[in-house]
Amino acid sequence: MVVGPVAFMALAALLFCIGLFGALSKKSAVLVLMCLELMTNAVNINLVALSRFLTPSSLAGQFAAAFIMVVAAAEIGLGLALVLALYKARRTVELDRLDRLKG
Amino acid sequence: MAWVLLIALLPALAFAAMAPMSRAVRNRMQWLPLTAMSGSLVLSFAAFVEVWRAGLGEEPVWEAAVKLAELGGNPLEVGLRIDAITAVMLLVVTIVGLCVQVYSLGYMHKDERRGWYFAVLSLFSAAMLLLVLAGDFLLLYMSWEVMGLCSYLLIGFWHEEEGPRSASIKAFLTTRVGDVGFALGLAVMWATAGTFGFGAVARFNWGAGAGLAAASAVALLLLFGAMGKSAQVPLHVWLPDAMAGPTPASALIHAATMVAAGVYLVIRAMPIFIASSHENLHAVITIGVITAVVGGLLAVVQHDIKKLLAYSTISQLGFMFVALGAGSTGAALFHLVTHAFFKSLLFLGAGVIIHATHTQDIREMGGLRRALPWTTTTFTIGALALAGLPGLSGFFSKDEILVALVNIPDAYRYGLWEKWVLVGLMLFAAGLTAFYMTRLWIRVFGDNACSLARESHKKMLVPMAVLAAISVVIGWTQPAFLTFLGHEAAWPDPLMAGLSVAVFAIGVGGGWLVYGRQVVDTEVIKARFPYAYGMLANKLYFDLTYSELLVRPFHELAGWLSRFDQRRVDGVVNGAASWWDDFAGLLWAGDIRVIDGAVNGLGSLVKRAGARVREIEVGRVQVYQQLAYAGLLIVLLVVLLLPWLRVLLGLLVPMLRGA
Amino acid sequence: MSNLLTWITFLPLIGAVVVSVLPKGRPQYAKWVAAAFAAVDLGLTGWLIAGFDRARGGAMQFAVDVPWVPQAAIRYHLGVDGISITMLALAALLGLLAVVGSWKVTDRPKTYFVMLLLLQVGMNGVFMALDFVLFYVFWELVLVPMFFLIGMWGGARREYASIKFFIYTLAGSVFMLVGILALYLAPNSGTFDMLALAKLGQAGVFRDIEGWVFLLFFLGFAVKVPIWPLHTWLPDAHVEAPTAASVLLAGILLKMGAYGFIRISLPILPHAARAWAPWIALLAVISIIYGAAVAFAQTDLKKLVAYSSVSHMGFVMLGIAAMNPEGLNGAVAAMFSHGVVTGMLFFIVGMVYERTHTRQIADLSGLSAAAPVTGGLLAFASFASLGLPGLSGFVGEFLSLLGAWRASTGTSPLFWSGLVVIAAVGVLFAAAYMLWMVLRVVLGRPSEAVRSVTDASGREIGVLLPLIALTLIVGIWWGSLLGFVDPAVKALLAATGAA
Repeated sequence: MVVGPVAFMALAALLFCIGLFGALSKKSAVLVLMCLELMTNAVNINLVALSRFLTPSSLAGQFAAAFIMVVAAAEIGLGLALVLALYKARRTVELDRLDRLKG
Repeated sequence: MAWVLLIALLPALAFAAMAPMSRAVRNRMQWLPLTAMSGSLVLSFAAFVEVWRAGLGEEPVWEAAVKLAELGGNPLEVGLRIDAITAVMLLVVTIVGLCVQVYSLGYMHKDERRGWYFAVLSLFSAAMLLLVLAGDFLLLYMSWEVMGLCSYLLIGFWHEEEGPRSASIKAFLTTRVGDVGFALGLAVMWATAGTFGFGAVARFNWGAGAGLAAASAVALLLLFGAMGKSAQVPLHVWLPDAMAGPTPASALIHAATMVAAGVYLVIRAMPIFIASSHENLHAVITIGVITAVVGGLLAVVQHDIKKLLAYSTISQLGFMFVALGAGSTGAALFHLVTHAFFKSLLFLGAGVIIHATHTQDIREMGGLRRALPWTTTTFTIGALALAGLPGLSGFFSKDEILVALVNIPDAYRYGLWEKWVLVGLMLFAAGLTAFYMTRLWIRVFGDNACSLARESHKKMLVPMAVLAAISVVIGWTQPAFLTFLGHEAAWPDPLMAGLSVAVFAIGVGGGWLVYGRQVVDTEVIKARFPYAYGMLANKLYFDLTYSELLVRPFHELAGWLSRFDQRRVDGVVNGAASWWDDFAGLLWAGDIRVIDGAVNGLGSLVKRAGARVREIEVGRVQVYQQLAYAGLLIVLLVVLLLPWLRVLLGLLVPMLRGA
Repeated sequence: MSNLLTWITFLPLIGAVVVSVLPKGRPQYAKWVAAAFAAVDLGLTGWLIAGFDRARGGAMQFAVDVPWVPQAAIRYHLGVDGISITMLALAALLGLLAVVGSWKVTDRPKTYFVMLLLLQVGMNGVFMALDFVLFYVFWELVLVPMFFLIGMWGGARREYASIKFFIYTLAGSVFMLVGILALYLAPNSGTFDMLALAKLGQAGVFRDIEGWVFLLFFLGFAVKVPIWPLHTWLPDAHVEAPTAASVLLAGILLKMGAYGFIRISLPILPHAARAWAPWIALLAVISIIYGAAVAFAQTDLKKLVAYSSVSHMGFVMLGIAAMNPEGLNGAVAAMFSHGVVTGMLFFIVGMVYERTHTRQIADLSGLSAAAPVTGGLLAFASFASLGLPGLSGFVGEFLSLLGAWRASTGTSPLFWSGLVVIAAVGVLFAAAYMLWMVLRVVLGRPSEAVRSVTDASGREIGVLLPLIALTLIVGIWWGSLLGFVDPAVKALLAATGAA
């Protein structure tokens, strides 16, 4: 069986949807961040796979993926710092309980 | 002759000087208005002499105008004018004014605020003098209103009491009703004739049709204004109440000068009346005769001496209007002059009497002729002049009015029997005058009651003597007066004179019989024992019949009229005030609830809508995310399924249209 | 001096900046500095009046016209003619008197006087601006200081009153802005200059849109004047505002609305103006009667004066709607007189309130017995307000009536004559409520609240003296005011008459 681009895209889509579902429904802020990472990595898979299959000579997708990984790392650092600060201030990281901007 | 402006300016300056002073200082400055008034008097005499020498009658001896403003380039001018009418009025106002001021020195000398009284009196004099000096209707109107202000201030002088306060506002508002008409008349005058000047308006060619209608409108509107100031029925209700003010003020303002301003206005407006329809003059006469009769009837039943004199004034003003309606400005002016002197005299006398007896009710007075000899003499002269004793001024002036009635020009289209009905009614009114003055005299001075009253100070008696002397003499100047005005000289017509004398005699006789001989008072007793007394003398029996048939019904009629006046006519005025109060409150409530309610409602609507919309913001990040992705999903679906949607619509639409 | 107008307009701004940087520790400096700036501003205005050529009052004088935002054809264009100079004089005088009248303010005086000076800038600018954008800037500029003056130093319901005032007036101004843009964007236009637009409008360039634009401007001005039924912001604003703010609100801000009609609506949209004039007259007469009637029902002294303003501005609008020399002269005279007289009334009412802490007529009586000078001044002001001849109020009212009657010789005579009659009756009502108020408050026996009142101080009398003098001078010699106004009125009617 030839493992074509469709398989990779399907995997990426699956991972993306899992990540999306988690981001929208998880209660814990840390878990939401992890799901966001999941979505990001799903996009990465897509980029690398399509680059490999469609334009093998230019490594655009791989470069983009590397770029994204660096940015994601920085972002996660920032995100976790915010979660820590949030926990210090509100003693909870449950998103349902953080609605001070209501109304 | 520009110095005539000083006649009005001197009292005005006196007021301006006294107004800002403190009470203590002002109370010592009474000599200032007196000096000013004396100056005005001297200058008025000088003016009179000038006019006499010129002999131009009602044509102006001197005129001057100054441009008040320009309206679109058209000049709006006000100015002064001296003619025979002005000269006469100047003398009347200054003489009566000075007498009243001297009198007031005595009358008000214990009052705390006498300085202010004199100041306002001065301002009033200035306004009245300016009014008669005015050469155009606009300046006349402006002085007219200022006089109204002074009247308000003087009626309400003792404003700590409720009575003077409400009387003063009633006076101002009632006259202002008339003033509304006056102002509208001025507007029409300006729009049609483009000028306010007496001469220019008199010479103006009103044209026909619309122009004539405008002339009528102006005439009637000015008449309406005159009715307010001169207390003609039905705008007369303020004058009796105005008696709440100090008596010398009443003498000056409500007897001699301000109330005469309405008559003066119609005199000046006579060319407009003549140029317009004769119906307008009919209106003047009708108003005048009703006022004359009603005033007389009401005076008969008054117990308050000042109110009695007030109703008498109303009646006499009616006489003047009748003269005007007959087209005779000469007769009207002559009566205005004689009335000014003897009526102010009567009021000043009333002041002395009230002062001496501490009451205004004539039923509580009596026998004053012994206690107050001077007052009695002067008052009697005044009373007889008013009643129309031949030889005194009132006789001449009233007679002149009757003559004018009989000699109404045919152009005014009065039928013969109409004229004689009018003459009859006026004779009746004259008789009433004699009757009630007799009643007054008997009640106050007659009887044998012993009075402890003391005669007044010289300051108060001398002016009265002066006015009395004038009242005796001035009647004899009738021919000279008329020629001075440029009319034909005339002595009293024998027929009319005879009728006047007869009516005078009947009035005085009747009064003496009823009140002096007290025929009616004993009538009740006599009615109870008719046989016992009936035998004594035939004449008693006659008297009884007479009183039963005439006097008592007549008294009842007068009493009923008085109550009607107070409750119905005045009641309308008071009712209108309270209705207005309710209406105003309603409008205000409407304003708050409806109009403002709409504004506030809009504001609260916005608030509530905002609150609803705000419910989307739950503050939870995940919800926002969900919303965002849902929206994205919908957009994607629409884009992807667009061709299928188009096909679907293509099928649906004809189906819907068919249905 | 061609920069005179600029100096007059922006000197108070400099003053505001100076006052705001004064040291906080000495609040009394604020009032002296503010008074100094206001006085100099008044002096400059006086110089302007002296240099003004009355015979050429129909044309703009002392004009300054330089490009401001060339990309949008916005210019910095100021000028005064006979009508604007009277309003400017009134603004400068009342501005100074407001400062001196606020001498006793102890709550945040620095900010207070900064607000007054900013207000002065706006007021001056509105009457001189001849470019629409410039006009709009100044028009809106007066809203902010007034909002703060009412909201921070006002009475019990000040937040409500200040917000209502601000939003209501702003709403009207927004409509006006649309109108301004419509004129700019109209074909053959492309300018914001009022004089140029007037020429275009008179030539009929805006015929198609004139009706709509007139309505838009009408809404903007009608709220300001105020014309019934858009008047309900006025009583609340006046009652809750501090004394000086009430004086300026009634004295100047209301006039801005009427001025807008005369400067903008009439010259630029003459055909629509003539078409709509009868309706404006009708609303004007309703304002006259309605204002007077409701004034009569008031128990609060300040509210009574507020509603009397509605009634008086009705006369102004009636004169404008008549669109003839008598009417327009009467309207401007009424505007000037109302500013002076109502300014006086609010000052005196403020004096009474300061001493008695009540504005309820029921609690006040016998003022003349306890404080004769104050009582006398209140009586004088009341007589001026009810239009007694010899005082300035009569000039405007009478000429407006004359003008309105003359309008009845044109089309629909019955309508106009009927309106004049009703308006004349309004004069009667004005006497009613004013005299009733004088009766209750000034005359009679002193009430509890009034008994221990001190009389007017020298400073207070000094503030009122110029107003009293103006009332008498204009009332006796009409030409002192109308000499400035009539040439401008003549020019205006000549330009729009053929329309």
